[in-house]
Amino acid sequence: MVAAGATRPLPWSRRISRAAGSYGLLLPAALVLALVSVYPLVYGIIASLRHYLYGGDHGFAGAANYLYVIQDQTFITALSTTARYVLLCVIIETALGLALALLVNRQLAGASLWRIGIILPMTVAPVVVGVMWRLIYASDIGVADPLLNALGVHGVHVLGSETTAFLGVVLLDVWEWTPLMFLILLAGLQGIPQEPLEAAVMDGASGLRVFFDHVLPMLRPVLFVAIVLRSIDAIGTFDQIYVLTRGGPGVSTQLFSIYAYNSAFLFSQFGRAMAMVVILLAGVLVLAAIAIRLVRSGPGTR
Amino acid sequence: MAEKAGVKSDSIFSRSLSRRDALRAGLVGAAAVSAGAIFEACTIFPKSPSGSSKKIVIGTFQDNAMVPFRDVFVKRFQNETGIQVQYNETNYDAWYQNSKNDGLHKTGAYDIYVLDDNWVPEFAAGGVIQSLDKLGFKANPDILANGLNQGYWPPKSGAKMKAFAGKTPELYAIVIIDDVEILYYNKQYFDTAPKTWDDIARIAAAKTKPGSLYGWSARGVKGNPIMQTYLPLLNAYGGNFVNDDWSPGFAGPEGVGALERLLSFIPYMPSGVAEFDTDQEVQALLQGKCMALTEYTGLSHQVDDPSASKVVGQIDMAATPSQVKSGPAIGTFICGIASGAPNPDGAKQFLDWFTSSPIQIDFAKTGSAAVTSTALKDPAIGAQYRWLPAIADAVNNSVAKPRSPDEPKMEDILGTRLNEALVQALSQKSGYHAIATQKLNQAAGEITAYLKQQGGYF
Repeated sequence: MVAAGATRPLPWSRRISRAAGSYGLLLPAALVLALVSVYPLVYGIIASLRHYLYGGDHGFAGAANYLYVIQDQTFITALSTTARYVLLCVIIETALGLALALLVNRQLAGASLWRIGIILPMTVAPVVVGVMWRLIYASDIGVADPLLNALGVHGVHVLGSETTAFLGVVLLDVWEWTPLMFLILLAGLQGIPQEPLEAAVMDGASGLRVFFDHVLPMLRPVLFVAIVLRSIDAIGTFDQIYVLTRGGPGVSTQLFSIYAYNSAFLFSQFGRAMAMVVILLAGVLVLAAIAIRLVRSGPGTR
Repeated sequence: MAEKAGVKSDSIFSRSLSRRDALRAGLVGAAAVSAGAIFEACTIFPKSPSGSSKKIVIGTFQDNAMVPFRDVFVKRFQNETGIQVQYNETNYDAWYQNSKNDGLHKTGAYDIYVLDDNWVPEFAAGGVIQSLDKLGFKANPDILANGLNQGYWPPKSGAKMKAFAGKTPELYAIVIIDDVEILYYNKQYFDTAPKTWDDIARIAAAKTKPGSLYGWSARGVKGNPIMQTYLPLLNAYGGNFVNDDWSPGFAGPEGVGALERLLSFIPYMPSGVAEFDTDQEVQALLQGKCMALTEYTGLSHQVDDPSASKVVGQIDMAATPSQVKSGPAIGTFICGIASGAPNPDGAKQFLDWFTSSPIQIDFAKTGSAAVTSTALKDPAIGAQYRWLPAIADAVNNSVAKPRSPDEPKMEDILGTRLNEALVQALSQKSGYHAIATQKLNQAAGEITAYLKQQGGYF
């Protein structure tokens, strides 16, 4: 006897048909994803295990490319430069992006104009940004040197020494990508419920205490996502620095991406270049996993 | 009829789609997208093959020096022979990859590749281009030998990789533009063409006015740019990039002396020279702020152009200065026939036609760096384009870069250390000998270690 209201189990044929239908609908997207995303990744991993000479594939190389890469001092230096670059850029961009988001979130007069003005740099193509900043930094016609002179700093050419060139590319990145942090964090701020904040103010909390005790904890998931996204993006920075310095002076601005590009396309060492990419990919995945774990364990997510 | 069609159309768009319909449509769409992508990736359908014997396809990188070749001579060949020429150009880096991939996979998309001469070792050894000798191509004996030699693999002289040392050199590519470094100097400051680097230094020291007029300008950016500055000095001082046994030939007294000479120009060069690439270096000359520099022949076309130059008629050209000898770097535009060329005979016919003496005379009449001796030394043409005799002189004295697929890596290593030396010297303003010795020894060690690890050299 079947209870009233109970649904009759579907026959097996219908169940299979329904499941096939669901998976079938997923199939086009899965196929496209496999073609444009998974295939290049797998191909890259395979390429990292091959021996390329004169542009041709000369067979299986085992771990030779990886062994070469981990002993390559230029690669180690490029990794270290990339780490310093990412760290510096992301810290400054997060701080500036958050400050700007807090400012614009205060119902400023002409807030939409501020928003548009702030996000403009990130709409410019990276290569164009590189060319633009090359003109700014150029020691012969640029505006940076006269500006530094006016500030009392004489005889310094931004791209003319290792330290200033490194700081110069960091400044470029900050100019271009602070708007991204600003946008994400502004969206996060606007999603924070106002009641707890109002209650804290009513209880006499200062602006700083409201920010550190309420706003920041509630913003934490968004903040982590923004930092992870920006870090991953910054690790892959290439165009603007290649145009601006080609990785110089010396190797002071030679990020991992520039060295990998040169290895593949200038030195025709595809296997080694792919080994570099795979090593970095593994590192990025570990970082991303840590970040996701942190986000999930955060109080704001409960 | 119209009404009927309307009714039918309404019924299609108004009825709700069943899951089966959606699935079917999705599968058809996915199959179409996937098939397109797969066919594209596998190049089952070759793109615009030049299958007809009445057509050849030339692929090249963009460069101002190629403009007369493209706009005048390709069209003229079509008119004279009836063979249609499809001319595809892209940027330098993209073309290096495209041509290499095309040749390695023999896709048949191109018949002729226009190459930078330092690609020849890799392209010839890797089978990207065909042996012109085997195709029966006979080079015009009027072509300057140093330009012609850039197309041989293995090289006719100099260091040879072990695997190719015993093989007879074959012509794989034929030079079409003799690009070479020459000296550009402002006649306002030099009574005659400076013959030695000492002459340059003497005039620079006497006439430099920091901030407004410099005795010398150079490319200082790491890698290839600063190498173009250093090589004419290195060769002039009797050093070599590599010796015939692949040992670095720049870390001895000759190479150190050459770098010391470059660093000694620091008081007479713009202070930001370490970041200078071609554009900034050339602007210093064209704006009248610099007395002399070495650069490739492409600059010749700009010096008398009033829209680009403030020193019209004041710049003259000569072979790069000597010390123990003159030794400009050579970097020709050179053509190879693709390994998968659908029309190799047509390609051969084009190269034979373009490098013939009469066509080269006409090519020189456009002010271009022709490749034959008679064209470059023609007095009438030389009077109109004063750089052509200097180019002939420079090509005859030129020194080729090492002929190896690993040359770009070697250049990157040395070019990075040279840039570091320049940056350090600009900062210290003294101790040039120690800086030069230390950086060149470092580069020599790195290049030797790299070549040993690559194998096939020692």
